[in-house]
Amino acid sequence: MYTTIDGFKPGLDVNGPFNPYHPKANAFRGYNSMWLGWSKNHLTDPNQFYPGIAASWDIAPDNSSITLHLQPNNKWSDGKPVTAEDVRFSIGLAYTQGSTAYSIDPSASGVASDIEVIDDKTIKVTQSAENPSVTFVRGVMETFIVPAHVWTGVLPADFWDKLKTARGDGPEAEAAGAEITGLAEKVLTFAPPKDVSAGPFVLQRVNPGEALLVKNKNFYNAANVAPDQVKFLNYTGNEQIWNYLVAGKLDNAPFTAVPADVMKRITQTPGNGVARGFSPVAVSMAFNQSKKPYDDVHVRRGLAHLINREEVTKIASPEGGVAAATTSGMHQRATEAWLGAEAGSLEPYKVDAAKAEEEFKAAGMKKADGKWALPDGKPWKVTINAPAPFSDWVSGAKAVTSQLNEAGVDAEVVTVADYPLYLEELAAGKYDLGFWLTALGPAPYNIYQRLYGPANGWELLAGKLKHHAPGKNGNWMGSPETIDVEGLGKVNPGELAVKLNSAPEAEQKAIIGQLAKAANQDLPVIQLWDYVNTQFINTSRFTGFPKDEHDSLRLTSGVWLQLGMIKKKQ
Amino acid sequence: MKQIARRLAGHLARGLAMILVVTTISFLIIRSIPGDPMAAKAQKLMEQGMSPEQADRAVAVLYGFLPSGGMWDQYVDYMTGLARLDLGQSLTVPGTGVSTVLLGAAQWTVLPVLAGTLLSFLLGVTMGVYAAIKRSGKLGDALAVSGSLLHGVPQYVLAMLLAAIFTTLIPILPAGGTADIMIEPGFNAPYIGSLIEHATLPVVTYALASYGGWILAMKSSVVTVLGDDFILAAELRGLKRSFIFRYVARNAILPLFTILALSIGLLFGGAIFIEKIFNYPGLGLLLIDSISGRDYALMGGAFLLITVAIIIANIAADLLYTVIDPRVRDGAESS
Repeated sequence: MYTTIDGFKPGLDVNGPFNPYHPKANAFRGYNSMWLGWSKNHLTDPNQFYPGIAASWDIAPDNSSITLHLQPNNKWSDGKPVTAEDVRFSIGLAYTQGSTAYSIDPSASGVASDIEVIDDKTIKVTQSAENPSVTFVRGVMETFIVPAHVWTGVLPADFWDKLKTARGDGPEAEAAGAEITGLAEKVLTFAPPKDVSAGPFVLQRVNPGEALLVKNKNFYNAANVAPDQVKFLNYTGNEQIWNYLVAGKLDNAPFTAVPADVMKRITQTPGNGVARGFSPVAVSMAFNQSKKPYDDVHVRRGLAHLINREEVTKIASPEGGVAAATTSGMHQRATEAWLGAEAGSLEPYKVDAAKAEEEFKAAGMKKADGKWALPDGKPWKVTINAPAPFSDWVSGAKAVTSQLNEAGVDAEVVTVADYPLYLEELAAGKYDLGFWLTALGPAPYNIYQRLYGPANGWELLAGKLKHHAPGKNGNWMGSPETIDVEGLGKVNPGELAVKLNSAPEAEQKAIIGQLAKAANQDLPVIQLWDYVNTQFINTSRFTGFPKDEHDSLRLTSGVWLQLGMIKKKQ
Repeated sequence: MKQIARRLAGHLARGLAMILVVTTISFLIIRSIPGDPMAAKAQKLMEQGMSPEQADRAVAVLYGFLPSGGMWDQYVDYMTGLARLDLGQSLTVPGTGVSTVLLGAAQWTVLPVLAGTLLSFLLGVTMGVYAAIKRSGKLGDALAVSGSLLHGVPQYVLAMLLAAIFTTLIPILPAGGTADIMIEPGFNAPYIGSLIEHATLPVVTYALASYGGWILAMKSSVVTVLGDDFILAAELRGLKRSFIFRYVARNAILPLFTILALSIGLLFGGAIFIEKIFNYPGLGLLLIDSISGRDYALMGGAFLLITVAIIIANIAADLLYTVIDPRVRDGAESS
């Protein structure tokens, strides 16, 4: 018996269907829910995967297509073989959901235009030439594959003809498009009568506290799947995960924020250990440049020189974070991988009160009685907002506030009841400074969308980029359309960020260099800490868990199990 | 009997009017809650590696269930649905009716909280009588102190204390959940045993947390009744102690019935801390989740359930009063 939790969603739901698209599904990724392949989350190459439903694949040199060769011996848990028709049918379902590589709008970025079943075990997916993206292959690989013989009837018989029509022009296309979109609800709410899995496990039963999965004997690699059963434990908050870990109940738990004292107790439990690796996420404080004095880059830089990021990280995320080396918009590991030695040329914004004073003076700020004031002499108060349930952000905001107050900048933290409210108010431009996740990679396009995307006024509509004025149409960060970057001149960072979607790797490197420089000089955000993927493991019952920095660390332990990495302890 | 039926009809009419008012008010409040659940979901998907465009497309499908149209149109739709006993579709559990979701959670709240409430009521009332009768002795003091202490300890502290003792220090009870997944569910002894084993800590916590209130209320009520003239008269007439005890108990317990009825009504609001700490997926947690997910239909359904339960409990308490208190019955008849 292997025991774990589902890191993607808290709360098991006995009513959850065996439908991977359903938000409360009893579908556990890597266990009884399968993708074609599992991304290795390589820092610079998005096209590296571990096999899933696909055993191997050929990617066209220009990324225009991918030919997938399915596992030759894989069968569904009901004994039927997994075929290319299953994959084609599953892609049809994905079109109704409009996610990953499938959209009925052929001008959408990185979407498939043609699906061709070559033989029973081979299928080719071609990318639309209208708006190609380097993320296309990953989008295809991350397609949920479901059994066509169970889902039959969910899609109409003429689905593919309708899709073809929908991808054209005119009223007929619109009608066909509406029909496909109208299927979304049917697909999302479909509840197969029983779990039929092509993964290493199949769900046996679930109650509100636990879910039990048993080995799928028809899985292609069943002989190397160590446990016969997997138990998922329910949780509604991090505290329960901590208790499970302290009690030594879990063989693995994915990343969970843990305070230092709890971490100590967890690691004292016999068999418990931690594997750490790259996590393409960073926490930043974003400025609202529509508000004065944050429209002045000198104020932003001055503040950056007053924040001791090491101290902030030690307080806010001692186990799951590393202080940001600087602000580049990327995780430091990605910065080094993409920029190499050039990364060293970025301004590190070390704590330096003299430099901060210089910057504030350049912005016209005035200092009286040890307190900084606005250029017109009026008092200046820096208000930092964070959602109350995110304890690490709130601790970080408090630490920053305390440092700023000590340096003569009047600062306060204002917490907001929950995340949906926080995001609504943030987008409405109500905050001066707010906590914001950045560096969401590994795809460089996604990384820079956090700084130079919709939140900063750039909107990509039908392949065309438009910039909204600061404070309008969701542009809460309020950057101007172009900025002056030393050594580069005037740049439009939104335009550069969009190019990352389709540029080949060599070109991407140059663009990333420019964007990192722009972010570093212009500071739309101050990067505080980079997250560390901290996986909890227990080697009392099983061994073979991935080591620190392993490229499978960001995948679920279901993938480790199906690949045969995990072994029963002898 | 006719009087009771008339009284019941009046209560039902007032109850329905109250449900209509409360439903309207809660509809307005729920729809006015600020926050953007779609943005929160999109952020979550972006954290999992989707681009902003992909996340937006996925969220548009997931939130295609959001009610559309103006506030008035939504209100009319909602009330029309209610008239057909249709509480709508849950947003966080797409494709599932709100009533199904509520029923699923209610089973894990009603039984443990009801058991806890009744257990604490019986224990508290009995001990309260003893504490009042023996109020000048050590037993009376001890009982009153135990009541004050338990009444003062917050529910979550008690829950964590019991969890620490019985799941870590002396690990004889499960730390959470509803039943052992390895046991085949059904009407069989091992499964029922497992259900009871898992419900023990939540029930005991709830019972202990509410016991203090009952014992203190009952003691105070008994002490008041003991000073009444009719008790003195009964004693002077030489009535047996058992008769006097019945007089005392029957009169002293009356005010507690109203509180009991309200407690039973309120149990549909769940016991959030107990459910959270013992990982018991009841109505309290469901309500919290529906608020954070801005699941308007589910929130509305949960509020409606609580409202209806309290109104029914009030009617039941009033009718019970009519039966057990001759003064109320006579008053009703003379009017």
